[in-house]
Amino acid sequence: MSGRIIRFPNHNLSLQQAEQAAEHILSLPQDERIRRKRSLHMEDPETLLALCSAIRARLTSYPSSAREEAEFFFRFVDKPRRDIGLFDERSYFLGELALLAGAACRQLSRREEAWIWFDRSEAGFRHTINAAADLSRLAYQRLAERLEERQIDIVLELLPSLIESFRTLGMAEDALKARFLEGSAFLEIDEPGKAAEVFAEIADDPEAEDNPRLRAAAFTNLTQVYGMIGDAEAAIAASARAIPVFRQLNDRIGLAKVQWGLASVLRESGQISPAIEAYRQAQEQFQTIGMRADIAALSLVIADLLLDQGQDAEALHEIASALPVIDALKMAPEGMAALSLLRESALRQQVNRAALRELHGYFPQPDA
Amino acid sequence: MKRPSPADTVEMLSIFDRSIELIRWTLRSYYRLTETEAAGAEEDLRAWFHRLVRRGASPPSAQILEVSLVSAACQYGRSLQLWKLHGEKSRDESLNILLSRQPDDVARDLRHRFDSERK
Repeated sequence: MSGRIIRFPNHNLSLQQAEQAAEHILSLPQDERIRRKRSLHMEDPETLLALCSAIRARLTSYPSSAREEAEFFFRFVDKPRRDIGLFDERSYFLGELALLAGAACRQLSRREEAWIWFDRSEAGFRHTINAAADLSRLAYQRLAERLEERQIDIVLELLPSLIESFRTLGMAEDALKARFLEGSAFLEIDEPGKAAEVFAEIADDPEAEDNPRLRAAAFTNLTQVYGMIGDAEAAIAASARAIPVFRQLNDRIGLAKVQWGLASVLRESGQISPAIEAYRQAQEQFQTIGMRADIAALSLVIADLLLDQGQDAEALHEIASALPVIDALKMAPEGMAALSLLRESALRQQVNRAALRELHGYFPQPDA
Repeated sequence: MKRPSPADTVEMLSIFDRSIELIRWTLRSYYRLTETEAAGAEEDLRAWFHRLVRRGASPPSAQILEVSLVSAACQYGRSLQLWKLHGEKSRDESLNILLSRQPDDVARDLRHRFDSERK
């Protein structure tokens, strides 16, 4: 058993200096960072804390960049082994950076990578002083990934315990975030009424008052749910509460999801051409963020609408562009039969409509 | 993601000042650190705690932070004593018993005892 105390190498970086240092480091090429690691204070826990915060801020706008940076700094802290800060700080940074990399992979539908990063995160967080809080945040990301993999039963089984943990730990914001999973799970099992109830409760929660992004995400989901149940007026009103906030925060994922919700409203109200146009806009927005799974899911929805309009060739084109991505990302584990039928029918240039609808029903709705 | 407001940050940082009496007592009377060692520990714990409250997107409650702080103080005291003893037993049997316990357990007892005495 080691009793050695490692004294904290005190650089006395202030909070502001650390934020500036983080910004500067992120502007440099990765090899230059390594060469200049000492003068850049890259081993300083204040700098690493600011870097984690900057990477977290990129998750909703630049998930590819967030993944790349989180991985870079994880590797930096991990090997060669560096003594970072005091007590549990090295373990915390390994856990946090892996959690950020995993969350970014989740956004980008890089599922297998996401699970590996979550395992790495657990390995770090197990050794932190406040392990219960850190592991609960990790459990949230794991459940969110399970939701995207449509393991709805598991999500609904484990969610109450997670929400209880957050409440016991006094993490009110995280408890509220976990409720998004509950609402989204209801959507997945075709219970839009219950989902709307949950999202409305989130939007009205006092905790959301101080958190515009969280509240805007609740209104985004309400846009989608009201669209699905054909209440166009409520859907448009909900979107109007979300869009300005996302614009202000430059939350590109949030904006793309609202756009998806509005497109669904148009489709449900029978405005097929404007709906296709709106879905394409959402698709373009996802394209700029690199969210391939959402782009592919939207291609299938658009294909369905194009078939309604008798544009079979265009529909086939959409399907052909989506199928390789669906395969590569293993997006429809329960929909393999439908996927095969659709693939075969596309090869015959005669789309199997039932398979198409079954398949795009498997893809996630634009939740938070 | 919500950043803690300045008021939240001040409130969280005040946890350290509220706990300082317990931390000093833990390090000096429980883990038998010298005055100089305890002062160094206090300085390190303060720097660490100021970063602890800024971890993640939203910090845990004041109560959880307080427990984490006392736990870190116990970890510090135990590690330093074990290092000073170079693997030998202390002549002070009560210190040996304390060093054989996990810092988290000791921290829980200390908090309980401290809270009872404050009432």
